[in-house]
Amino acid sequence: MSKLGVFDLSVRYGKLVALNELSFQVAEGERVFISGPNGAGKSSLLGAISGAVRAAHGRIEMDGDILSGRAPEAIARRGLSMVPEGRRIFRALTVQENLMVGTGLRRDRNAVPNDLAAIYDAFPILSERRHANAGALSGGQQQMLAIGRALMTNPKLMLVDEPSLGLAPKVVDEVYERLAQLQAQRGLTLVIVEQSSTRAARVGGRMILMRGGRIVADGDAGAFAAEDLLTEAYFGQESAA
Amino acid sequence: MSLQLIFDALALGGIYAVAALGIAMIFGVMKLVNFAHGQFIAFAVFALIVPSTDATAVMGLGRAPALVLVPAILLVGASLAVTSEFVVFRPLRNANPVALMVASFALGVVIQSGLMAAYGGRPKSVSLWPELGSPVSVLGAQVPLLQIIVIGAVLIVLAALALLLKKSRIGLEMRAAAEDFGMARLLGVPANAVIACAFAVSGALAAAVALVLVAQTGVADVRMGGQIMLVAFIATVVGGMGSLPGAVAAGFAIGAASVLLQAALPFEARPFRDAFLFGLVILVLLVRPQGLFASAAAKPRV
Amino acid sequence: MSATMTDHRARRIAARTTPVLLCLLLLFFVLVATGLSDRATGRMAAETLIRVTLVVGFWIFAGNSGVISFGHAAFACVGAYVSAWLTLNPQMKSLLLTGLPDWLAQADWPVLLAALAAGVVAALLACVTGAAILRLSGIAASIATFAFLAMINTIWANWTPVTGGTSSVVGLARYTNSWVALGWACGAILAAAVYGASASGLALRATRDDEVAASASGIDRYRHRLLAFTISAFFCGIGGALLGHFIGVLNPDTFYLSLTFLMLAMLVVGGIGSLSGAVVGVLVVSLAVEALVRLEKGFTIGSAQFSLPAGSQEILIGIAMIVVLVFRPAGLMAGRELALPARWIRRVAKGGASLRPDKY
Repeated sequence: MSKLGVFDLSVRYGKLVALNELSFQVAEGERVFISGPNGAGKSSLLGAISGAVRAAHGRIEMDGDILSGRAPEAIARRGLSMVPEGRRIFRALTVQENLMVGTGLRRDRNAVPNDLAAIYDAFPILSERRHANAGALSGGQQQMLAIGRALMTNPKLMLVDEPSLGLAPKVVDEVYERLAQLQAQRGLTLVIVEQSSTRAARVGGRMILMRGGRIVADGDAGAFAAEDLLTEAYFGQESAA
Repeated sequence: MSLQLIFDALALGGIYAVAALGIAMIFGVMKLVNFAHGQFIAFAVFALIVPSTDATAVMGLGRAPALVLVPAILLVGASLAVTSEFVVFRPLRNANPVALMVASFALGVVIQSGLMAAYGGRPKSVSLWPELGSPVSVLGAQVPLLQIIVIGAVLIVLAALALLLKKSRIGLEMRAAAEDFGMARLLGVPANAVIACAFAVSGALAAAVALVLVAQTGVADVRMGGQIMLVAFIATVVGGMGSLPGAVAAGFAIGAASVLLQAALPFEARPFRDAFLFGLVILVLLVRPQGLFASAAAKPRV
Repeated sequence: MSATMTDHRARRIAARTTPVLLCLLLLFFVLVATGLSDRATGRMAAETLIRVTLVVGFWIFAGNSGVISFGHAAFACVGAYVSAWLTLNPQMKSLLLTGLPDWLAQADWPVLLAALAAGVVAALLACVTGAAILRLSGIAASIATFAFLAMINTIWANWTPVTGGTSSVVGLARYTNSWVALGWACGAILAAAVYGASASGLALRATRDDEVAASASGIDRYRHRLLAFTISAFFCGIGGALLGHFIGVLNPDTFYLSLTFLMLAMLVVGGIGSLSGAVVGVLVVSLAVEALVRLEKGFTIGSAQFSLPAGSQEILIGIAMIVVLVFRPAGLMAGRELALPARWIRRVAKGGASLRPDKY
């Protein structure tokens, strides 16, 4: 059974069709990049999976458990966590408080202090500033905080929307390094929306290319970098038959 | 003489602060300006007496000893608020803030009309803890015991609320939800529980204000909550919408200003004290439209 | 090919039929009501039309800006009293309202001029108040208007030498009948339609629909709000004067929370998004209120006497408002305007064109 299954998913905003009968599956432990031009529907896809956005049609399952139609908090409780675009950290709360917000849904409360220590290990800068207001952190630090916060819910599957947005390349490198480490440590399944397909190719994994609410290609990220498929997806040119 | 003024200012400011807090709590979490809050207060007032249209009230619940009465009335306030949330505001959960505000206004009218039908429109005299009216000598001034208790109670309420918000699980979730409700839900924070909790606290705060009002004025009037509510709203706006410390600070400030104005104004102008107060507020808003402590949940930047 | 009317042009002309249709609707309403020659119905019709003036005035601001103002009843209050000050018997004024300046106490104006003055004074007050309040964000501005309402009410209730305080000012000339009210209502509707189609109206509605986009387009929300607020107050002031001269007796509480609630209910039920919504809302709620009033007085089913308990009127209206907000938040008209369908206009244009000799 796949970790995540998306079947004929459609999302509409009024008359605008953001996702058009999308279907794909993600295996446990996989790292999948969702790439494509602006307006392709990448954020809508993550929004629908996490429950933030209502699907007009279709089904979403995780471990055979139906997610579609449930409230976001119910989906989170089933082991799915989301790091949204723009990070959306709670600026009025401290770093530690941010990390603790998601722990209410955990049934294994005893494990929380250990997990917190693990996150501080993985992101030492957060440990240093654990009692500072989250609003005072830099962009890169906030991104680490957002990831750490999502991890504190002890998810099986994590969605990350545009982790490189607004960050310097060196910082993005660091973020992805940590993400890869954490994924290996915890056996996480990751779905990442990454605007830069070259970067996705560099980090490595599977890539799903979207355009106009549809999937146009699905394969190894590294292989795409070389082919015309990227150009086709981004600029809509049909490749020479 | 001026010590008396200080106590008056503290007591009145404290009441306004607690009332403003009740409104700010719900606004923070739901972006709802609860125009029915004044009627929550009135409802709690009338919960003390037996329904009848007589001019003198017969104490119903109000006869219970303070140790039972206070928690009971707080529970009444909380229950009314939570029920309102369930019946009126939950169906409107995703509506825009204006619709919510108008619905709360309508709810207020419904509650007020209901109270009028059950109790009649004329103010009734109610005697609640009259022994607290006797003056006590403090630092050379003669201050009614009630005043001292009010100030003490306000401080306790503020401390308890601060503790709840800062140290408890639900408090953390409420603060997170107040800043970014959608994100909190994505982290598993239960929307319904948090909102119900905010309403329950708000209702209890309204009930606390009701108790103080009845003890201080000895009157039960369906229009009672209205005056306080108006000041509470203004305190919320002046303090910065959605900011709890701002609401408290503004509540105290307006209470102090009110008492000082009353003392400073010439006799003929006294009845216009409220008008002066509102005028002052409009002036403050001219200078700082976003309020004194604009919350982190600011408007979208263009 | 002879000139065929474009879809766009047809729709623009269709939009212009809205105020005409609304006025015809009101005319029909008046004819039916006065035709019934029941005195109570005639008075009800007049009161309904006064409310149209008030609510349409209210809509000019609230509908276009998306900001709910709780203060418009205050403009009606000011307007009513201004008209009273200008038209009341000078002897009565010097007796009861001793605080009035001499020129005002001696004033004895014709009622039409007094009504216009009422509107102008209300508009001036709105200009001053709006300058302070309208920079605030939507919700904060609403609260500030509530404070303004309370302020006016406090001043009016306490400034006894000038306003008569809480005791009623009597003796206003009761010139407001259905036809006078109809005239002013039509004027308000026309003004609302003109403003709504004007550049300012369009700009204001843009800020209502998408604040960020409007601001990025360089629209100065504050100025347009102020203009709408002022025009809005003008008609509420006149509506207040009409109301005063309808009841014949003035009291600050007439123009306080009950009126505010009623105006809001009418706008919500009809739909705040369109002018037709405002008018339809007034008609529907007024008829409902009238029915409730008669039910409160008592009715018989068979041989049994029933009557609704007093105060149920407001409870039912409040509940109705909440129900509308939950199930049909855009109101009865759902933001649409009453207008001739565009295709009728095109058909008429085509029919007209076929009678003319082909040109090019």
